[in-house]
Amino acid sequence: MKRIVITALAALVAVLALATVVIAASGGGASTVTRGRLEQSLPATFANLYAQHARIQGRTGITPASVHAKAMCGKAGAVGEDVGPGGDWVCLMSWTDPEVPMPNEGYGKFELNVHSNDCFTANGPSKLTGFLTMTDTRGREVTNPLFEFDACFDPGSDSTPSGVVFPSLLTVTSTTVARGADGKAGLQVTCGTGDRGCAGTVTVTAGKVHLGSIRMHIQEETAATLMTPRAVPKQAKEVTFTVKLTTGVGPTSPVTLSVQRG
Amino acid sequence: MTTDLARPVDRHVAVTTRRRRPRLGAVLRWEVRKLRAQRRTLAVLLAALVLPIVVVVVIHGQSRPPKDTLFGRFAIDNGFALSLLVLGFAAQWVLPLLTAIVAGDVFASEDQHGTWKTVLTRSTSRGQIFWAKTLAAMAFTVLVLAVLSAATIAASLLIVGHQPLTGLTGQSIPAGTSLQLVAVSWASMLGPMLGFTSLAILLSVWSRNPAVGIAAPVVLGMVMQLVGALGGIEPIRPFLLTTPLEAWHGLLAQPSFTGPLIDGALTSGVWCAVSLTIAFVLLRRRDITGG
Repeated sequence: MKRIVITALAALVAVLALATVVIAASGGGASTVTRGRLEQSLPATFANLYAQHARIQGRTGITPASVHAKAMCGKAGAVGEDVGPGGDWVCLMSWTDPEVPMPNEGYGKFELNVHSNDCFTANGPSKLTGFLTMTDTRGREVTNPLFEFDACFDPGSDSTPSGVVFPSLLTVTSTTVARGADGKAGLQVTCGTGDRGCAGTVTVTAGKVHLGSIRMHIQEETAATLMTPRAVPKQAKEVTFTVKLTTGVGPTSPVTLSVQRG
Repeated sequence: MTTDLARPVDRHVAVTTRRRRPRLGAVLRWEVRKLRAQRRTLAVLLAALVLPIVVVVVIHGQSRPPKDTLFGRFAIDNGFALSLLVLGFAAQWVLPLLTAIVAGDVFASEDQHGTWKTVLTRSTSRGQIFWAKTLAAMAFTVLVLAVLSAATIAASLLIVGHQPLTGLTGQSIPAGTSLQLVAVSWASMLGPMLGFTSLAILLSVWSRNPAVGIAAPVVLGMVMQLVGALGGIEPIRPFLLTTPLEAWHGLLAQPSFTGPLIDGALTSGVWCAVSLTIAFVLLRRRDITGG
């Protein structure tokens, strides 16, 4: 028994040493999971499944080619390289369906869990792709192929990124504003996944009183609080924020929030 | 190889009496006879035949699909998807276990029963015995894979049905093509399984202990699976014996790709060659006089 254990340990050490050499020689972590391969594989899979989804609904004229799906993928937000397996891949994808227009920002957000074996599971945006089950033409509940899907890609395929670029989506998360000790109020916003984050100006007014404008530059996938440059008048009931973005997309109409009484 | 199993046992007597030094075929038949006499061999084959049917019935009866595994999403209403789901599950540890049950015991049982001296008093070389035992174990691997895959595919198609399959690029694959792809996917397990057979033989020869010969390849397989699933150390994946067990994914993509299958065949071949060479040297140099 002692002989077996010693030999097994020796073999294990030898294997680990060999593995270290292999990893060091290959430049450390040269993964087959790359942005380019996902940007190719996800739209191809989605287009096929979208045509299947349309067939289940009894719609004709939707083919994988007519869907024109294209995607931009990234891993773990703005920092780090877009390479390697993980559950933190996000892809923005746009497609064409004459009956279902894309939202204002022009894409849907897909969350991908990519495995080291070059397969992934994608979760679509429910408001665009529907829920777990759907009703077919004969009224039966069937699995919605778009809700969540698996795909595998060729580890030997071309790894060049698609070059598709989508802007970040700026969303106002505050539902009311509150005056602080100095009378100023903060507006909470988030900047979603996208190219180069969100930048622009927010003009603030309370009734007819101009409270100045805020210049902002927010990184993608971060939240920020924008403070009004001047104090909100005590008697003001509502504050209106008009967002003008030079980078990214945001609310097209002014956002009016009521002032919380403290 | 499989026909040898069905042949009447007493034929080898005629062959051995004709020559003074039996050829490999005779020794092989003798090893196959030993395997056939073991209840374990029959039990494994029977399990490979019956268990897939039970699994298929149980999964088909689920109201929610087991979507954590590839093809699980469509498994409750598509027979091809179900047989591929079973394949993905079997590849995790069942296939290494099925082959190791015989291959991990084939040398070590002679140690366990103290029969090496008896075996070697017959006029056969150690080399002949080594290759006969290896070939017998490999023939069993082929047979058990054939039984398991046939039972799974047949049960899936008969119980669940043969609707068009949704492939790994979302494409719809017609039933006829699906059947071919599913069969080839199952067949692609043979390479890595023979690799596990060789590994079990090596461990069986080296440890002289059937328990190590059977359990160690399964444990090693699981460790390799775990290591292969880790991010950051992916350059090691091509060297793992478990990577070829996932190479079939490429067949079901569009366009299909066979790069991983070719790499997998190479990996399995290297594992076989290295394991068998070490096992052969160990057996040749062993001092058996001690009994």
